[in-house]
Amino acid sequence: MASIAAAQVQEVRSITRIERIGAHSHIRGLGLDDSLEPRQVSQGMVGQKMARKAAGVILQMIREGKIAGRAVLLAGQPGTGKTAIAMGLAQALGPDTPFTSMAGSEIFSLEMSKTEALTQAIRKSIGIRIKEESEIIEGEVVEVVVERAAGGGGARVGRLTLKTTDMETNYDMGAKMIDSLLKEKVQAGDVITIDKATGKINKLGRSFARARDYDATGQQARFVQCPEGELQKRKEVVHTVTLHEVDVINSRTHGFLALFSGDTGEIKSEIREQINSKVAEWREEGKAEMIPGVLFIDEAHMLDIECFSFLNRALESETAPIVIMATNRGITRIRGTTYRSPHGIPLDLLDRMIIVATSPYSQSELKDILNIRCEEEDCQMSADALTVLTRVATETSLRYAIQLITTASLVAKRRKAAEVSMEDVKKVYSLFLDEHRSEQFLKEYQDEFMFNDGSGDASQVMMEVSQ
Amino acid sequence: MVNNQEKLLRYLKQIETLASDILVDKNEIIMLDKRRNKNREALRDLTKSSQKKYWLTVGSILVKHKFEDTKTLLEADQKQLNIDINKLRSDLKIKVNTLRDLEMQPPVPGLMLVPLSQKETEGLTKSNLFSL
Repeated sequence: MASIAAAQVQEVRSITRIERIGAHSHIRGLGLDDSLEPRQVSQGMVGQKMARKAAGVILQMIREGKIAGRAVLLAGQPGTGKTAIAMGLAQALGPDTPFTSMAGSEIFSLEMSKTEALTQAIRKSIGIRIKEESEIIEGEVVEVVVERAAGGGGARVGRLTLKTTDMETNYDMGAKMIDSLLKEKVQAGDVITIDKATGKINKLGRSFARARDYDATGQQARFVQCPEGELQKRKEVVHTVTLHEVDVINSRTHGFLALFSGDTGEIKSEIREQINSKVAEWREEGKAEMIPGVLFIDEAHMLDIECFSFLNRALESETAPIVIMATNRGITRIRGTTYRSPHGIPLDLLDRMIIVATSPYSQSELKDILNIRCEEEDCQMSADALTVLTRVATETSLRYAIQLITTASLVAKRRKAAEVSMEDVKKVYSLFLDEHRSEQFLKEYQDEFMFNDGSGDASQVMMEVSQ
Repeated sequence: MVNNQEKLLRYLKQIETLASDILVDKNEIIMLDKRRNKNREALRDLTKSSQKKYWLTVGSILVKHKFEDTKTLLEADQKQLNIDINKLRSDLKIKVNTLRDLEMQPPVPGLMLVPLSQKETEGLTKSNLFSL
């Protein structure tokens, strides 16, 4: 029966696009207009106007190269958009500027010392731009004629006719060239490039004009336009590499594999010095341009006093990137000492930094942010569900409310509704606790938990969060 | 008010002249390349055939030359054409950057860089830095 057959045809969902939706994936930029004034809701950023304006000024300074070697500190309560502003800055700088993002605790690893990890992170944020140049002949093949001189010991003569939209010419080919042409199986209608220096032949595809030649072509058939302009072009390719990549490639025989596996180990300082001198030489000859990028250290209070001293010195060098740190601690102990200082960062480093403060969001801003996250996580929410969620966010925290979005949409999907309603939000609110309710719960039942100290609220040292 | 209009007009004129300059240069490079290729074909034919005298076109006049003279003339022409094309190309780069500057766009990255030498490129490609 047709209906049974139809029911057995499973719906095939294409899962080719696997997009990871992260906590800050909705941010496309800083959301500033042409005069660097922040718009209320733009490019994924909402509110927080002062901090965004400051970030815009910093962006301009980075673009003009005027801030290399100085540091910026983003400080504010948790959930006020510090990481979001850093993400926005990264997007606004563009793909050409190296942007390294790391957390403070990533410095500590058994494989590398802290200074090595910091040096690597710093060198990952400095790029150099170099250019390769080659003369190539690019054109569409009109015909290939290969004749074997009869009885002449197999000396072959070949003639290749190439054309572009503007001109056409023919080339006499030697034996090696004929060999490579035959190897590449070049036919009339192919668009090829011939490197003049190396003689390498590269097939770009088939010309569109010859697309109707055959009824069936193989899978690899790629069609390109007939090239225009002159036949003998000068091809320039500009590469941007980071200093870290150059270090790794030079430090071992198969260095490029280390770049992928991340297992770089300690790189000797002689190698780094050689690379520095080579890059300086190239810069003088005009062969390379230095692009200072941005190193973003989140949770900067996790760095200890040795790292801070190292950073002090590293910022003084002439090839230093812009360091942006973010922290949400108030006056806490500097790791590695018993001294207390603002944000857990020593005062001499704080002195070198430009500090940008972030403030908590207002209720309407929270609503806008939740709206944007709903769109990003592909979830339809009714208006009162959104209001309830905003109230939840105001009372508990923004992050908790964002977590509820996907969970509520899954609950709604289970009951086959298109929109998330207030009941769904209430249900997930009761299912998943926020930190305040979890704390209450623990206070009541802490005796029944394993490994409980039983000391209760007497010696509770609250984590200091900046006010 | 009139001042602003004048300024705007001047600015637009500047941009348009520069843009048409660039297009004219590009066309000229194509023309020169055509001539270069024709010369190359001619040189090829010269070496293959065994005539004693050849007809050369100078403008719209045909002049007869001996074999050696023809060869020298063609080769000198090729050299000059190469120099011209290279000069046009470097000037073109400067003009393109000036145009982008006028249009308030950032300059093309890396346009003004001196290219790496053959050995350096080889070393970098061999170490797979560029395949990344």
